[in-house]
Amino acid sequence: MSVVTELRRTARSARGEKGTPSRRSLRNGDGKAAALFLLPWFLGLGLITIGPMVASGYLSFTDYDLLQPPTWIGLENYTRLFEDPRLANSLRVTFTYVFTAVPLQLAAALGLALMLDRGLKGLPFYRSVLYLPSLLGGSVAVAILWRQVFGIDGLVNQFLALFGIQGKGWVSDPETALWTLVLLHIWTFGAPMIIFLAGLRQIPEMYYEAAAIDGAGAVRRFRSITLPLLTPIIFFNLVLQVIGAFQSFTQAFVVSGGTGGPADSTMFYTLYLYQKGFTAFDMGYASAMAWLLVLIVAAMTLINFFASKFWVFYDD
Amino acid sequence: MRPRPSFRAAAVLAVAALALTACAGSSDEPAATPTSSGPPEPVEIRFSWWGSDTRHELTQQVLDKFTEKYPHITVVPDYTDWNSYFDKLGTAVAGGDAPDVITQEERFLNEYASRGVLADLNELGLDTSKIDEGVLQSGTIDDALYGVATGVNAYAIVADPTAFEAAGVELPDDKTWTWDDYVEIADQISAATGKAVYGAQDYGFNEPGFSIYARQRGESLYTEDGKLGYDDKTIAEWWQHSLDLQEGGGQPDAATTVEVDAGGPELSLVATGKGAMAWFWTNQLTAITNASGKELKLLRVPGESEEDRTGMYFKPAMFYSVSAKSEHPEESALLIDFLLNDPIAGEIILSDRGLPANTDVRAAVEDKFSATDKQAAEFLAGLEGEIVDGPAVPPVGAGQVAEITRRINQEVLFGRMTPADAAKQYRLEVESAIGS
Repeated sequence: MSVVTELRRTARSARGEKGTPSRRSLRNGDGKAAALFLLPWFLGLGLITIGPMVASGYLSFTDYDLLQPPTWIGLENYTRLFEDPRLANSLRVTFTYVFTAVPLQLAAALGLALMLDRGLKGLPFYRSVLYLPSLLGGSVAVAILWRQVFGIDGLVNQFLALFGIQGKGWVSDPETALWTLVLLHIWTFGAPMIIFLAGLRQIPEMYYEAAAIDGAGAVRRFRSITLPLLTPIIFFNLVLQVIGAFQSFTQAFVVSGGTGGPADSTMFYTLYLYQKGFTAFDMGYASAMAWLLVLIVAAMTLINFFASKFWVFYDD
Repeated sequence: MRPRPSFRAAAVLAVAALALTACAGSSDEPAATPTSSGPPEPVEIRFSWWGSDTRHELTQQVLDKFTEKYPHITVVPDYTDWNSYFDKLGTAVAGGDAPDVITQEERFLNEYASRGVLADLNELGLDTSKIDEGVLQSGTIDDALYGVATGVNAYAIVADPTAFEAAGVELPDDKTWTWDDYVEIADQISAATGKAVYGAQDYGFNEPGFSIYARQRGESLYTEDGKLGYDDKTIAEWWQHSLDLQEGGGQPDAATTVEVDAGGPELSLVATGKGAMAWFWTNQLTAITNASGKELKLLRVPGESEEDRTGMYFKPAMFYSVSAKSEHPEESALLIDFLLNDPIAGEIILSDRGLPANTDVRAAVEDKFSATDKQAAEFLAGLEGEIVDGPAVPPVGAGQVAEITRRINQEVLFGRMTPADAAKQYRLEVESAIGS
């Protein structure tokens, strides 16, 4: 996909490399060896990605209840998409989640990366500790923990009680349930943080020295040097996180007990898709939903790339 | 594929019959199961069920006994709580990984059977000679036996007399109390205890409760031909009582309700000593009593003598089915035979899956019933004269109604929909689910 190559190029230019792969003539044996080494990847692509995609593309034009053979119904599933108020709601929930959780998570990741980049002693230790939530955050165990922490008798309310504040069931109130998931997402700032750290290391020290000589303060140096030179990295993280956030499933599934509740307030698009496919046995409709998601994510990524022309600075 | 009226009528009779055959039967040993000649090859089958921790422990004990009797059969347990059971089952079946022995429920049996997921137990030679004909009918669709009812239960109120006492409120006469009484009593208990103990737990998450409410008014949730049989005003009223309770303090705020609901029977308000009344199935009494550590009491639901007629009914607690795709259908049938017909299993299960469907087993284990089992049995026996009929068997698609009910109830409790709007929305969604 062009997105991937584009990302690679971005990442490469972020590292300051030049995109000139060395060309050398292929000898006979090389071709076979290459094919052999590529085979597992192609098998995986074919069996695990392209095959199911083609199948779901076909199923999206059928009425398929999983247990009996699909029957062709043309575009009916797609027209139903536009008449489904719960689908509209799930889109609203998902967009709210993506547009809040991703920027906040990136801000947290950048802030921590800046703190760690000050030449701390024992940096590897802090880096590992701060990365830990990212390893845990996607797990079912932590999602269950989250339910407890934000429950009525949970840690958060016990803490609030110290100040005489009567908390509520954060996870079980439709006003706040989604925000506990946003918080959970922010907490898994580890991956973008590591990438930011690497990016910060790439900014040549001489710029800062020059700026310091010119009398620029810390804020000025951040705004005029760090931030512009980091924009390719921010962009890279943004694209990845937006794509990932649209596909979030586990946290909402576990925290809401698989219901997307209370009252559909945590009904992520993917969760609704799952329910349609596996609880309501409406796999044709679920397949159409999956393709709509592909279109949405592709559109968001395109918008991202288009917008990047106006704010991403490549120091080539 | 719609169920035929004959099936519905039969099912209704079935449940009534099961309840009426209370103490019949002899103490004959069930017929010995035929075994094939030669040493049997070891096989492994999977058995799925839902329920509380109490049930998981009981069932594991039964499975251990089964393996003692049939050393060549290993049973892999596959259990979860009720809320996620059918999600998991649906996924497993779709993935071609259905459990061999599947516990089914009324709302889903028709759906799974009509899609060819379940095997005909008659063809597998399951011994059903000691099971009442009516009970068998409740799992029979188009002459094929897709599930055997494990027993009967009724939807009722589990009350905590100590909570009433602590609040200085008298236990109601459950034959005459009205819905207004229910709301008032609950409010009084909450007020008297300063909400340390709530009067009631929300009832609106489960549509069998509404089914009773509609039946009391001469209406029904589903009609015999698989449509909706109630007036929108009726369900709006039903939700309004719940809102009144919430407002009057008789039941907790909506967020607490949602959290308690997600915890299942053993974390319910009554089970944790924080509530005086809740709606449950009679076979859940043991689990809730164990969790609460107190003696609880079953009450008839309110309004049984208030309107046109009584609304309570007997329901097959659950069904045992065999997957049509099972690689070991004979062994799976053996397990069901053991669960239903063997007194050894009966002694362990007692009334956890409703009063035993096998009349011999029931007679044999009745004196082993724990206090709570006896309580439930007596309660059901007491209802026999009052129950008019059974509701129509839920149509295909009724499985989705559980989720719809829970969600729209939450919309009402959080004040995001008025009961009247919720009634409209409910009709729209349920009709689309059951295709009427």
